[in-house]
Amino acid sequence: MVQMNRVQAVKTVLWSILGLTAAVGLTRFIFGLGATTNLSDATPWGLWIGFDVLSGVALAAGGFVITALFYVMRREEFHDFVKPAVLTAFLGYIAVVVGLLFDLGLPWNIWHMIIFWNPHSPLFEVGWCVMLYTTVLLLEFSPVPLEEFSRYAKIRTFLMKFRFPLILLGIMLSTLHQSSLGSLFLIMPFKLHPLWYSNILPVQFFVSAVALGFMMVIFESLVSHWLYIKDSETERIAKLGFIAAWVLFVYFLLRIGDIAFSGELGMIFTGTWEANLFIVEMLISVILPFIIFVVPRLRYNRKLQWVGSIMVVFGMVFNRINVGGLTMIRATGDIYLPSWMEIIVSMGVVSGAVLVFMFAIEKFHIWEERPRHPESNPYAPAAFDRSSGAWLGSPLLAASTRYSLAFVFAFAVGFALIPDNKIHSEGMDDIPVTRARGADTLFVDGNLNNFGVAFDHKKHEELTREGQACATCHHMNIPLDKNSGCWECHKKMFTVTDVFNHDWHASAGGAAIACDECHTPGQQRRAESAKNCEDCHRDLRVENTPIEVKAYLAPSYTDALHDICVACHLKKAVELADKPDLGLCPTCHGGETPENRRELYKYGQAARSLKPVVLPQVKKPE
Amino acid sequence: MEQLLAFSKGPLFRLTFAVMVLGLARVLILDLLEIFRAYYRAGDKTVPWGQVITRSIEWLVPVRLVFKRRPVYSLFSMLFHVGLLLVPIFLYAHVQLWRDDLGFGIPTLPYAWAYGLTVLTIFAAAALIIGRILNRTSSFLSRKQDYLWPIVLLIPFVTGFVCAHMGVSASAYRFFMLMHVLSAELIFVLIPFTKIAHCVLMPLSQVVANVAWKFPPETDDKVCTTLNKKGAPV
Repeated sequence: MVQMNRVQAVKTVLWSILGLTAAVGLTRFIFGLGATTNLSDATPWGLWIGFDVLSGVALAAGGFVITALFYVMRREEFHDFVKPAVLTAFLGYIAVVVGLLFDLGLPWNIWHMIIFWNPHSPLFEVGWCVMLYTTVLLLEFSPVPLEEFSRYAKIRTFLMKFRFPLILLGIMLSTLHQSSLGSLFLIMPFKLHPLWYSNILPVQFFVSAVALGFMMVIFESLVSHWLYIKDSETERIAKLGFIAAWVLFVYFLLRIGDIAFSGELGMIFTGTWEANLFIVEMLISVILPFIIFVVPRLRYNRKLQWVGSIMVVFGMVFNRINVGGLTMIRATGDIYLPSWMEIIVSMGVVSGAVLVFMFAIEKFHIWEERPRHPESNPYAPAAFDRSSGAWLGSPLLAASTRYSLAFVFAFAVGFALIPDNKIHSEGMDDIPVTRARGADTLFVDGNLNNFGVAFDHKKHEELTREGQACATCHHMNIPLDKNSGCWECHKKMFTVTDVFNHDWHASAGGAAIACDECHTPGQQRRAESAKNCEDCHRDLRVENTPIEVKAYLAPSYTDALHDICVACHLKKAVELADKPDLGLCPTCHGGETPENRRELYKYGQAARSLKPVVLPQVKKPE
Repeated sequence: MEQLLAFSKGPLFRLTFAVMVLGLARVLILDLLEIFRAYYRAGDKTVPWGQVITRSIEWLVPVRLVFKRRPVYSLFSMLFHVGLLLVPIFLYAHVQLWRDDLGFGIPTLPYAWAYGLTVLTIFAAAALIIGRILNRTSSFLSRKQDYLWPIVLLIPFVTGFVCAHMGVSASAYRFFMLMHVLSAELIFVLIPFTKIAHCVLMPLSQVVANVAWKFPPETDDKVCTTLNKKGAPV
């Protein structure tokens, strides 16, 4: 192995994260959000919105604040920050769009907002602004790569003519949607905690985005100069930090002032976890960085510049995550923790953006002087593989060998880590059924959610004493049993159970039957070439039962019970003149079930008397 | 053993299979990249494409080229390759696993064919090892991995044969099945990093041979200058 330098080490890590992301991303787009995220109906917006979209847009604010500073306010000393800041913003917005595609349930419908307008929705405005601003950023940035190709010189000069209007358009669009991301949350005053909810949320979002934009430019400059081992611009960073500090101060006044104005200042010190969260957030996102960048002696300290910018970046991301969901926990009662797959995708989107950024820094004229590193150095020694001694090719090829290897192994690991049960489910969890409690009256509540049916076993026994009464419900027995209950075969609430346990029969710890004892030797081993269950178990079927069992796939508990109960009840409702209600749902389902509760809320009081039962749609066995 | 079997059929299979598929794609792409770079650099850009294609086909169907020299060895090599490719891909039990997981499958080999091809592959592999040892030229050229590979490839065939066609007891079945799955997974991981990568690189080998030995335009002068014989004829 050749000696890795800083850039190569970082790139290897980033490619590994991308490999993991590719495996998880594949799962997400094939098996959906349910298989990959911990989102629920109560918490439909998780990490991908809180971090990738809300924070991503805010982190990309550097583009418009630096162009405003340089082109509009004519602060010439910040010239060197402009190209990297515009590039960061452009990549940031691409990352937002990619993150959004992961989070949208039907990502292929993203173009709908272009044609089907809903002008009442803040998201409509955000969507349009992001779309337009990404286009503007592309046009703003494209002169830089076009510089490399002389044949595109005309396009470049044409774009350069429109530079100023484009920059103004960019600032305008940013102002619009940075604030309207805050407007989104104006509709949830009862969901969002009072320390974060405010009538001026849009203004707070905008001002914090400006401060964060400056800090992101500082952070990006520090990181890239560290990576490519260049002297960083301590002086200019201090100046930029000073401006950012005062924007942070305005933001602080807006936050605290708004809370004071609504008379809830005391809430900060109540000691609840939200109050402490607020104090921590304000400390790392505003107060400490403000001190660092206002005091002259601290401002020029390189290490403190690192600390201050990281604090703001993390603090503001923290703020967006708090507003985006964390502080709603008290209202929704739904504790959401992102799954590892959500975290990997968020990291992967950022990694991809960073890799493109590094590629651009190396290939285009973004810095005054292009960075030097072994990959582009023609005099770097050739790389040899230490284990085999094989020539790995030119340094560039050797590097791509390493990155691709990292990608392949990371993908494989990610693919292996994806939980089996998530991708094999039919979109519905297997909920095990427990036996009915009681004796003469049975309380049938398979999934133990306390919404069940009181089944008068004794009464049914007496009413249907003649004929095939018992054998209708008790139509099968498990081996060696005489009177099996429903739950013994119909083992899952909403999904089908395979009653025949092949692995147990073939296992040395189970029945320990050799293959040829069931399957005919010399033939393909499959279900058709095997013995029937009844060839060995002669007591499975109950005599004179009207229920015909064709396959050993038992329908779900709910289906099995409904099929038998409802069929008989409907018949009896016609036969018995004095019992017309027998076929209606409320006859058995007295109370609300979780399934019909949602319907009740939807249709209000009128639906309450109907007590509808909504059955989940499940595949029935053939 | 049950849990080990479940683990090697689940996560371990996905890990190794992904390494194989992506690893092969990786070496193919890297190979193509290097061919393009060599072609871009080369002074003489003529590539005899007709010859490249005919020679590739001649090696792929070695009727003319190889049968001249060692007909028996070539015959066994071809039979070995046929069984090696057909049995694992088109075996009913394997396709059934895909069908359970993905919901669709491909046509499968009849029972008798699978039986026959497996036996044939096992014998062909044994014959190949013996041929390699007995022939002085080839044993001189062979590395350790050339002897090891047929043996490693045989393990899943033998264990699979025991599981599918012999009436062994339940516990023996588990053991052979575990060996079958684990050895196959070892092969998956090794394929992209050893000579078995020829399963995707083979079509490129003739192109590499024709392009990689071309030198950049000014090479002659540079070599002469370095040897202090500037202007000398090459």
